[in-house]
Amino acid sequence: MAMLDVRDLDAGYGDLQILHGVDLEVAEDEYVVIVGPNGAGKSTAMKSVFGLTTYMGGTVEFKGGDITGRSPDEIIHEGIGYVPQNDNVFPSLTVRENLEMGAYILDEVPEAALESVYDQFPVLRDRQDQKVGSMSGGQQQMVAMGRALMLDPDLLLLDEPSAGLAPDLVDEMFDHVDAINASGTAVLVVEQNAKEALHRCDRGYVLVQGSNRYEDAGEVLLNDDEVRQQFLGG
Amino acid sequence: MSTVDEAVNRGRNLSSEQFLLLVVGIGAVALLGDLILGLASGTYSISRVARYVTEGILYGLIIGLAGIGLSMTYSILNFANFAHGDYVTTGAFFGWGVTYLVAGWGVASVGPLVLVAPQREVSGAQLDVAITATPIAVLAGLLVAGVATALFVLLIDRLAFKPVRGSGGIPLLITSVGVAFALRYVLVFVYSSSTRGTTASVPSVDFLLVDGYVSIGAHDATLIVAAVALMLGVHFLLQRTKLGKAMRAMSDNRDLALVTGIPTERVIRWTWMIGGGLAGTAGYLMVLWTGTIDWQFGWLLLLLIFAAVILGGIGSIYGAIFGGLVIGVGMHMSMIWLPGGDFTTITAFLLMILVLLIRPSGLFGGKTTA
Repeated sequence: MAMLDVRDLDAGYGDLQILHGVDLEVAEDEYVVIVGPNGAGKSTAMKSVFGLTTYMGGTVEFKGGDITGRSPDEIIHEGIGYVPQNDNVFPSLTVRENLEMGAYILDEVPEAALESVYDQFPVLRDRQDQKVGSMSGGQQQMVAMGRALMLDPDLLLLDEPSAGLAPDLVDEMFDHVDAINASGTAVLVVEQNAKEALHRCDRGYVLVQGSNRYEDAGEVLLNDDEVRQQFLGG
Repeated sequence: MSTVDEAVNRGRNLSSEQFLLLVVGIGAVALLGDLILGLASGTYSISRVARYVTEGILYGLIIGLAGIGLSMTYSILNFANFAHGDYVTTGAFFGWGVTYLVAGWGVASVGPLVLVAPQREVSGAQLDVAITATPIAVLAGLLVAGVATALFVLLIDRLAFKPVRGSGGIPLLITSVGVAFALRYVLVFVYSSSTRGTTASVPSVDFLLVDGYVSIGAHDATLIVAAVALMLGVHFLLQRTKLGKAMRAMSDNRDLALVTGIPTERVIRWTWMIGGGLAGTAGYLMVLWTGTIDWQFGWLLLLLIFAAVILGGIGSIYGAIFGGLVIGVGMHMSMIWLPGGDFTTITAFLLMILVLLIRPSGLFGGKTTA
């Protein structure tokens, strides 16, 4: 039984329905990627898991419990962390304060989690008192991921972590995602950079117009002629 | 072509900005020169100028203290609260009711005391209200002004602002104008529209300054100590405590605060309480300092608070404090050249407009509580 189990999900924003019967599964420790063309509903599917869209039908189960239609602050307590694509840091706060905010729901700042975030992203340890607004895009993305890791979630949702990064930083970002996954956190990633993401993941979904189109191991999707031609540019 | 146009426009903007800067600069230099020459030649009395500066600082502390709350609600709730001035008045009446009650216990009946003697049954001078003669009454009043206003402001949020919170800044702003009027006339209804004296005279220390004295009274000292302590407290709260960091986080990015698990409604409640408490305290201190209370002094102060907060950079509490001091000192200093009275209000707004022309985002710029 999968840790995250999304069944036949309909969701959107207000009256606008974007997802039509989406199914998603993520097992424990698994690395799953959602790819697809612009407007396919990739980010919407991820936001729906985290309770940020208008629910219209279907179920979302996490670790056997129903979290359908729950609010983000409840879902955080269940062990899911979410990193939005844009505006995902508090620019006027320092690195350390950003990370502390990630653990707001705990009574004390979890020093062990803080240390493991600093071990994962050593540059953040060196710059812990710097205001995040003055840092580069790549470093801000590390702060954003670190913030979401402070509660040591069982599942981390990453919305386009490589968006807007310089090409040489994209690889580094994917390495960080690999490392987070290797440390025992399941990850669900939405990516524009489909080839690289499918190379690295365990399993991938191709979403088109708000519905599942393909689902298979990453390497299988990469070698599928139809998928390559339609979604990976040949 | 377009790049040429851009370059021309940029040049034009630059030259008009520089022209403005030049005019402001010449004006400032002229005033400063006149001041120095006047002081040197004895046309302006040194002790009189020093008195203006002192009074300006005291007035500026009140404006700054009240401005912190306005700035906080602006940055966290995204609207300019026009009811803030009437929170100042409300807090003053709450606090002075308690001060009268403690100081006048057994001297007059409870009703008129709690209502700050609406028909002038007693006066502060009769009750000998002063920080030196009745310290407990004054401190109790100060405390109640803060705490009761904090709770009262929370109640108003629940009744008036929370229902329209989702609909953006303009509906909230218009709601606040309505709250301001309603609150002000409820104050008239409850406390009456008469202006009354609240304090007895207090001892003061006179400093000899070349050609005269500058005196600092016990109530001036109380104002300085209380205002500075509260400002330091807010600074500590924002920089060091979990709540303060969450407030700064929310003013940065409310959506992210929500997905991070910060309880945004609770942070909003605290923002109202702290901002309201400071407004009420500022009102109490203003009355202690001026020695009179009336139903609309907070409303009249609000425009100056706005000027200070905008001049300092709306959203920044340090901008609010600094802006308050600039406005206060500027207003009082301008009495060197102006006849005083309402003319000094012109100075306040002239200062604000000049600062905004040169630095549109205010002295401390940007929208941040930190």
